[in-house]
Amino acid sequence: MEFITWVYLIYSFIAFYFLFMFILIYIQNRREIFYCPPITKNYSLSMVIPCYNEEKSIAGTMDKLLEQDYPNLKKIIVVDDCSTDDSYKIIKEYAKKHSKILAVRTPKNTGNAAGAKNYGVKFANTTLIGFTDADSYPEQGAIKKMIGFFDNPKVGAVTSTVLVYNRNKFIEKLQAVEYKVIKFSRKLLEFIDSIYVTPGPLAVYRKKAFDDVRGFDEKNLTEDIEITWHLQFKGYLVKMAVPARVYSIAPSKFKGWVKQRNRWNIGGLQTILKYKKTFLRKGMLGNFILPFFVFSWVIGLFGLGIFIYRNTQRIVLKYLSTTYSVQAHTAIFRFSDITLTPNVLVFMGLGVFFLSLFFTIVALVNVREKHYKHQSVFTIAFYMLFYLLMYPILLIISGYKFIRGKTKW
Amino acid sequence: MVEKVLANKKRVFWEALFLTIVVFLFGMLIGVAFESNKIDEINDYYIQSETSIMDAFALNSFADLNYESCEALVSANLDFANNVYEEALILERYENAGKITEGMEIMHKKYDVLRTFLWVNTIKTAERCGREYDTVVYLYESETEDLTKKATQNVWSKILEDLKAEYGDKIILIPLASDKELVSLDSILEQFNIESYPAIIINEDYIITDLTSVDDLRGYLDK
Repeated sequence: MEFITWVYLIYSFIAFYFLFMFILIYIQNRREIFYCPPITKNYSLSMVIPCYNEEKSIAGTMDKLLEQDYPNLKKIIVVDDCSTDDSYKIIKEYAKKHSKILAVRTPKNTGNAAGAKNYGVKFANTTLIGFTDADSYPEQGAIKKMIGFFDNPKVGAVTSTVLVYNRNKFIEKLQAVEYKVIKFSRKLLEFIDSIYVTPGPLAVYRKKAFDDVRGFDEKNLTEDIEITWHLQFKGYLVKMAVPARVYSIAPSKFKGWVKQRNRWNIGGLQTILKYKKTFLRKGMLGNFILPFFVFSWVIGLFGLGIFIYRNTQRIVLKYLSTTYSVQAHTAIFRFSDITLTPNVLVFMGLGVFFLSLFFTIVALVNVREKHYKHQSVFTIAFYMLFYLLMYPILLIISGYKFIRGKTKW
Repeated sequence: MVEKVLANKKRVFWEALFLTIVVFLFGMLIGVAFESNKIDEINDYYIQSETSIMDAFALNSFADLNYESCEALVSANLDFANNVYEEALILERYENAGKITEGMEIMHKKYDVLRTFLWVNTIKTAERCGREYDTVVYLYESETEDLTKKATQNVWSKILEDLKAEYGDKIILIPLASDKELVSLDSILEQFNIESYPAIIINEDYIITDLTSVDDLRGYLDK
C-alpha cells in the first residue's frame, strides 16, 4: 500500500473513533443532557463583568444580569479596564440607579480580560463567583439553572450554553452553527469529566476553588481554558448547565474572526505547555484533555501538510499537462479524463462525512432555541465542507505567531 | 463506589474503539471485495485476450508452413490488438480503485507481458507477410514521481488516443510500461538503445522521445 493510502486510512480511523465516542456518550446519556439539579441551598453569588471599550453592549449585559431571578445574587461588579470610550460613564450611571451594581476601575489597563476579572474578584465575598463578558447577554433564569450543581462539593465550576447573538451576516451564521456544535460536544465531554473550558460569556465558580487555583492566569490568552485545566488539575469537577443560555456577540468580519481564533489557539498552546508534565498522568486532564489537544495540533498540522503537498503536486501537474497539450496541439481537457471509479478511501471518506453530518444535525437539534430560526442547509453544508477546513490553516498561523512570541491580546 | 462510577463512564473509550475497529474492518472488507470484483472483471478480459494471443501465435507458427494464411494472421493480430487496447483503457480506469490490494498491479504486469507478446507477434507477422499496418509502441514509466514526466505521459496518451481514433485499424497501438522489470520486454528494448522515457517506437524504425503532435506523427506513419 502507498504511504498516502496509509495516511488516509489512519485519518479515517481517528475520525471514526472520535465520532463514535461522542455518539456513544450521547446515546448513553441523552436523558441527562438538559438536567439541572434543583436548588437546595441559596449560595451567595457575585457576578463580575470585565469591560474594555464596550460602550455599545455593556448596558445590555448589565440589564440581563439585573433581570436574573436568582434571589441570592448579591453584587454585580462591573470592572472597567481603563476604557477609552464611554463604557465607564455608562457603568457609573447604572451603579447610581441599581444598588446591586458596583462600578470599579482598574488602576491601569491590565491588557487582558483575566486582569480585569481578577481585579473584580477582590470586591466579592460570596460563596460563588460568576463571570460574564461585556458583550454577552445571559438569558433570563440562566444563572439559577447553574446553581444546583454546586451541591456536589467536588464541583469547582459550572459552565453554560454559549450561543451567537448576531446572526445576520454569513460569517455570523456559520459561527452560530459552530457554537452549537461546540456546546453539544462540551456537554458530552462532561460525562467523561473532560470539560476543557468554561467560556467567558457565562461561568460560575466556587469561590474556594477559584482561590485555590489563584484565579485567572493573566499571562494566558485563554484564561477560561487555563482555569478549567487548573481546576481539573486540582481534582475539581466541572459541570455544564445546558439550559443556561448566554448569547454572545461573535466577530462579524473575517479579520476579527481570524484574530479571535488565533487567540484561542495561542492560549491553547500556552496551556498545553503549562500542563505538559501531566501528560498521561493526573486523571482526565493528563489522560484525555491534554493528549486530545496535542493530538489535534499534530493531526491538524500533518493533515494540512499532506493536503498542501498533494494539491501543489496536482496544480503543477495540471499546469505542465496544459502547457504541453497546447504545444502538442491536443485537447487540454476531455471528459474521459474524469474517472469515477470509487475505491476504499472514497467509501471511508463518505462514511466519516455522513457520520459527521449526523453528529452535527443531532447537535443542532439539541439546542432547542425558541427565538431563532433554524440554520439553512446551505449554511450547514458550507460549515462542514469549507469552514472546518480553515481550522488547520489557523493552527499554522497561530503556531507561527506563538513561536514569534506574539502572545498578547 | 465513586471509582466504579468513573470506570463505567470511561468504558465508552473502549466501546468506541471496539465499534471503530468493527466498522473499519467492515469498510476494509467491502473495499477488498470491491477491488477483487474489479480484478475479476479485468481477469475475465485477460483470459479471453490470452486465448486470442495464443491463437495468433499458433496461427503464426502455421504461417511458417503456409503463406496463404497471412491475411488471417494480420486480421487476428489487429482484432487482438484492438481488444487489448480497449482493455488497457478499462485497466487504467480501474487501477485508480486499487488502493489496498496488489491485484491491479499484478494485472497490469500480466497485461504488459501480453502486450509484449503482441508486439513480438506483429514484428514476426510483418517479417513474414509484409507490413499491412503501422505499429506504434508507446513506452512509459508507470511508477515515476517526476511531475514533468507524468505530465508528458498524460499528453502522449491523449495524442496517441487521437491518433488511434483517426487511423483505426491502420495502426496497432501498444502501450507498455517500461519499468515493470519484464525480462522479455527489457531484452527487446535493449536493441533500441532508448535513452529516456516516455518514448514512441514506430514500425521498429523510428524512436521519438520528444513530445510531438498528431500532425508530426502522421509524417512518420505515412512514409
